[in-house]
Amino acid sequence: MSVAIDIRAVSKSFGSGSETVHAFGPSDLFIDAGEFVSLLGPSGCGKSTLMLMIAGLLERTEGEIYFDDKLVDAPRTDIGIMFQDNTLVPWRDVRGNIELQLEMRGLSKHKHADRIDDLLRSVHLKDFERRKPFELSGGMQQRAAFCQALVHSPDTLLLDEPLGKLDAMTRDAIRRDLQGLWMRTRPTVVFVTHSIEEAVQLSTKVCLITPRPGRVDHVIDIDLPWPRDLDIKRSEAFNQYIGDIQEVFHGYGVL
Amino acid sequence: MATASFEPTAPRAPGLLRRVGRRISESWLFLAFFAGFFLFWEFSIDWFDIPRYILPKPSEIIVKSSADFERLLYYTYITGAEAVLGFVIAVAVAVPLGLAIAFSSVLRRTIYPFFVSIEMVPKIAFAPLFISWLGFGLLPKIIISFLVCFFPIVLNAILAFGSLSEELTRFSQATGARAYTTFIKLRLPAAMPQCFVGFKYAAINATVGATIAEFIGSDQGLGFYIQIVTGNMRPDLAFAGIFLLTLLGLSLFGAVTLAERLLIPWHISVRRRQ
Repeated sequence: MSVAIDIRAVSKSFGSGSETVHAFGPSDLFIDAGEFVSLLGPSGCGKSTLMLMIAGLLERTEGEIYFDDKLVDAPRTDIGIMFQDNTLVPWRDVRGNIELQLEMRGLSKHKHADRIDDLLRSVHLKDFERRKPFELSGGMQQRAAFCQALVHSPDTLLLDEPLGKLDAMTRDAIRRDLQGLWMRTRPTVVFVTHSIEEAVQLSTKVCLITPRPGRVDHVIDIDLPWPRDLDIKRSEAFNQYIGDIQEVFHGYGVL
Repeated sequence: MATASFEPTAPRAPGLLRRVGRRISESWLFLAFFAGFFLFWEFSIDWFDIPRYILPKPSEIIVKSSADFERLLYYTYITGAEAVLGFVIAVAVAVPLGLAIAFSSVLRRTIYPFFVSIEMVPKIAFAPLFISWLGFGLLPKIIISFLVCFFPIVLNAILAFGSLSEELTRFSQATGARAYTTFIKLRLPAAMPQCFVGFKYAAINATVGATIAEFIGSDQGLGFYIQIVTGNMRPDLAFAGIFLLTLLGLSLFGAVTLAERLLIPWHISVRRRQ
């Protein structure tokens, strides 16, 4: 079962005294179970900081975060997480890297062999499972990292600009894979991005975050049919959302 | 699949034959230069009328030193043993110590700054002291060789074990893995490349340490030999000793490089060479 994430008056400051840097918040945000929510904002606005706090990997300065009714007070181990720089290790091949997630959790890689095969096929990497990460293109690496983040079947996915370093065509292709996967299993997804188009295409909800110190300023429900393919992206409604969001960022002085 | 068609296929590793062929074609210029250098040396002794007690011909070095072959071989063994033992003991002591320092905040605030300041002391300066304390035998040479190897290894090991990337640290936290599992599966392999930086630096220093320790006081070894024959106006034999020392240094460095290639074939510094 997917979980709902409730963010209440959360803020984060780094350092202390006169050196304090106010990085994020205070902000509230409710993410319902099975939603795909994008945190959209200019670089340095604290969207990654918020994601790390949701994961329990970074302590909050103030406020609370709940997964359903459970307060986040330690790193959540029931999530799948991806960063802009992937967590593939060079000494293991693609399959070994996916198995690393299982081994770290003390899960059997033999029992999950079929699951790994399915994942590899779904991202078109089955023929490359014995290749080392450095033998793959950037897009293939992120696909492999994607399998690594999903192999333990997490109910919640936290994705911190996983497509940030890829070229436009590869981004498009992986977005489609990601959307297909979300539509099939409906995990709760928190997706950090600075691409307006990406956020509108993928999300049920887009949270606009102001420049530093970042706050969740607008939450926009994206009411478009699934799957959001090329036709949807050409539609007036899609471009209306893009235009509206651009206007908000223009108001912040970002665009 | 349409999505896969954007991806280039990963390059295959070239075959062994092609690799050997490429090696030769890449290094023939260097080999030619090397041969040219020794030919120039050989003939310039006569051209410039250089006295033999200043600089002998390479051919004379080979001929004259072959009479002393057995002694040279034995001394190579002695100096080699000093260097290798010093190096091996340094690895055995410095890696666990570096590991302990990387993970203990107490050690990091006590021993670590102590090591950093000691690193500034030229270790060779201790050689006369060790020889006066421990005599002319092998032990003081092994200790000097150990000392010159120890610091680069320990400092690189501290760096290696203390710096797992932020992403991998967070990844391991999010899996809830125990510290031991994280160490075996992430920290240890990730630390290897930086450890080898220390090993290679130490491998180069080991022979230097042993040789200088022999200069200062000993009755065997290549350092001792070079000093004695130079005193006897026999530069031909001194060059033979220098040549064997070079060979010794290259072998030790080569062994470490080979170990690196076998243990961490995935690392960028190894991949570039292939």
